Amino acid sequence: MGLLEVEGVAVQFGGLLAVDDASFSVPAGCVTGLIGPNGAGKTTLFNVITGLQAPSRGRIVLDGADITRKRPYRRARLGIARTFQRLEAFGSLTARENVLVALEMRRRWASSRYDCATLADELLDRVGAMSVADVRVEALPTGSARLVELARALATEPKVLLLDEPSSGLDEQETDALGTLLHELTAGGLGVLLVEHDMPLVMEACTHISVLDFGRIIAQGSPAEIQADPSVQRAYLGTAKSAQ
Amino acid sequence: MSQRWSNLLVWAGTIAFIVFVSKAAWAGNAVNGTSLISLVVVALPLAGIVAMAASGLVVVYTTTGVFNFAQGAIGMFFAYVDWELTVDRGWPQLIVLPLVVLVLAPLFGVLLDRMVMRSVQGKPLVVQLMVTVGLMFALIGLANMIWNQQNAHTMPFLFAGRGFHIGQVLLTWHRFITIVVAIALAVGLRILLFRTRVGVAMRAVVDNRDLAALGGARSTVLSSVAWGLGCSLAALAGILLAPETADMSPTVLTLLVITAFAAAVVGRLRSLPLTYLGALILALSTQWMGSFLKFSDRWTNVPEALPTIMLFIVLLLLPRAEIQFARIHAVRRVERVSSVRDTTIGMVALVAAMVVLTTFLSSTDPTNVNRITLGMCTALVALSLVPLTGWAGQVSLAPLAFAGIGAVAYARLGGAHGSIWAVLLAALVTIPVGALLAFPAMRLQGLYLALATLAFAAMVEEVFFSQPFAVGPGERDVAPVHLLGVDFSSPKSFLILVTVVFGLCGIGIVALRRSAFGRRLVALRDSEAASVTVGVNILETKLAVFAISAGIAGFGGAFLAMSAGKLSGSTGFEALSGLPIVLALVIGGVGFVAGALFAGIFGLSLVVIQSDWHISLWIGLTYLAPGLAVLGIIQNPSGAVVPMGEGFARLLPWRHDARREYEEMTASDAEPEVGELGLERPFEEADVLLVDRGLGIGNDVPRGITTARST
Repeated sequence: MGLLEVEGVAVQFGGLLAVDDASFSVPAGCVTGLIGPNGAGKTTLFNVITGLQAPSRGRIVLDGADITRKRPYRRARLGIARTFQRLEAFGSLTARENVLVALEMRRRWASSRYDCATLADELLDRVGAMSVADVRVEALPTGSARLVELARALATEPKVLLLDEPSSGLDEQETDALGTLLHELTAGGLGVLLVEHDMPLVMEACTHISVLDFGRIIAQGSPAEIQADPSVQRAYLGTAKSAQ
Repeated sequence: MSQRWSNLLVWAGTIAFIVFVSKAAWAGNAVNGTSLISLVVVALPLAGIVAMAASGLVVVYTTTGVFNFAQGAIGMFFAYVDWELTVDRGWPQLIVLPLVVLVLAPLFGVLLDRMVMRSVQGKPLVVQLMVTVGLMFALIGLANMIWNQQNAHTMPFLFAGRGFHIGQVLLTWHRFITIVVAIALAVGLRILLFRTRVGVAMRAVVDNRDLAALGGARSTVLSSVAWGLGCSLAALAGILLAPETADMSPTVLTLLVITAFAAAVVGRLRSLPLTYLGALILALSTQWMGSFLKFSDRWTNVPEALPTIMLFIVLLLLPRAEIQFARIHAVRRVERVSSVRDTTIGMVALVAAMVVLTTFLSSTDPTNVNRITLGMCTALVALSLVPLTGWAGQVSLAPLAFAGIGAVAYARLGGAHGSIWAVLLAALVTIPVGALLAFPAMRLQGLYLALATLAFAAMVEEVFFSQPFAVGPGERDVAPVHLLGVDFSSPKSFLILVTVVFGLCGIGIVALRRSAFGRRLVALRDSEAASVTVGVNILETKLAVFAISAGIAGFGGAFLAMSAGKLSGSTGFEALSGLPIVLALVIGGVGFVAGALFAGIFGLSLVVIQSDWHISLWIGLTYLAPGLAVLGIIQNPSGAVVPMGEGFARLLPWRHDARREYEEMTASDAEPEVGELGLERPFEEADVLLVDRGLGIGNDVPRGITTARST
């Protein structure tokens, strides 16, 4: 039983079945991978889990409680945080303010007492974006803005963190640092769901991987099993027949 | 509440409302063949005219994404051009009508697109809207300057009002032609959009602009075609409507646009058949009211409010907007948040300047003092939009409506003898009304919300003020507030009071922007999707900002009422008087307290010209000037106060930071754009030479090595 359970989720856009009966779980304390070719439905699934997209069928369960009908901000307060594939930073705020918005929200709903300003700096430092703390995010390169999004997501102190292609826009060194950070975070008990195209990062960071193709889960297993799975190779590379 | 239930509620409410109104206001006229035929005979041509104007709106909006507030004004302007050529110059209408509708108006549209509208696409909504509002004022101004409104203008009907009878009812050729033209246009537009290359491309642009561009649709040509067509339709509607309006009032002709909005929104600004249906419903119900219902006393203005009531209802029936992701081409806003300390210094300086100024103004003739007071009150009302529109990005066109509600609350709750509590109550009473508008704001995004607020403002103007509990048919006296034993009855002391109040509110607003709440508002504007995923409750946040905005506007309204000394009907709080305030605020800078002050001073200068310079040329200029000034904000959406403030800060001896920043900025401007060689910019000859020099190779490298673009 995972921390987050996706059970039989389907999403239909008009005549297009973007996600079809997808089920998988995200356990606490490790990184779960969700991979698949472009257009497989990964981001749609993220939107369903965070509540930005209502599923046509299926349930989302967090910590044993059904949250399928909860509003997005409620889910955030229950412990789901995410980053976005297409950046959704607060562009006209500085990096520090981006994190502050999230921290100040948590301080309100959790009525905990802490100094937001110090915590914001700690978070920015942790993801390696401290050097750009006072720069407006719309002026940042994509990679740095992604780090700011990550810090903002961490500021909500989530139980489950959904990362949508966090390494795109990062250089090799930053990607390595991201891998290290993921290990640290999961060691603290956080469950991470990772959508990523950088296969070395996925294979290195994830303990379990689900492969999505045309909205269906076509394979699940450990990195080694996934790499060996012929259906995955077909999905990514196509068969000799479909190549004709 | 699910979409279906809330829609059902709106439908049920609407039907109950119609039945109730029809029953209560029944005039007792016989419903028979003749009266019904005469209803239809009047309604159909009206529907045709509204449909033409609305189709123009739809064509332009779907193709370019710009919603044209000036649609009615363009029609008005070309109706006057037509009048000039036919009535004044005596040319035959048979030549003039095609000349105006098929040549002059489309030409105007294409020029407008090339010179102005093309650069408006993709700018913040409030800027887009205000550019077309500015165009509307500019055209009204031009018309005033060219055609002196002291003289009467009448446009004759086509065929001199002759016609034929259906039963006992006369259908004039003019109206008959109007109906025929409207139907022909419906068929023509259908053929254009579905059978021609241009039309298909226009529809493709509606579905997905970027995709259509990839498919080879040339958006520049399309937007010119759309604006040409839109202006042509506007001109036709204006010319056909002109004879039906008494004295060709520019305002009446311009306001055709409100009716057209209502019709176009029925088609969700996309569907032309539904737009025609909307126009038909609107015309029929207007005539139904005119023929069979009688409104008196407090409900006298209901018929005028009909289009806006319908607009409001239709907007409530729209499907709930999805949570918005950030726009991909985010607009770069320079958002320098001033500190509370700097603002306080500025406000103290403002009050001091005002004190000095009043010593130079005449004590016997309070006219000038009163004007400045009006300017400061306007600034206070404009301030209400700074958090709402400037930070949260919710475009409201109803600041004066809230001010009006506040003014009435002040007058009713102790303002007649200047009670201090009445001022606070004026703000308190408006807050729930503002919060109420947050609910449509949850469903409606951007343009639809802006239209809903305009409809709300029009309803307040037409229906609220005439209620006996508000103002009613007479007047209500209003006294300046008493505070700390001072009664502020002298104009000068009242001016100082208003300035101090503005200063305090301004400091409060800046403090709000620097608070957690202020950050949350900006976050919500930048990305709703990201806001909810960090736990921001959108409804709660929008409720709060609408309430705050309404409270400030209501507060400002109380002072507006004090400066006027009395309330009579909706005078001073008309929905359309609110537009220049929004316009001036956007020119000044919608996200800044200084922008609100700018709006007040700008409005003040126009008032002075209008009332002191009795030359119609100058009066026309007071409309034309804001229309032209708004063009400046296309390239600088942050507003005029930003460069002004930066320049001013550099002059202050203690603002070293401002000077340093300026030097850095100009230094970086001077540097050439450096992209990554070979990746972002081609390998030029100069680069080759540079590399050669670096490597110490001579300059005998073969010429012609130029580009190496990455793949």
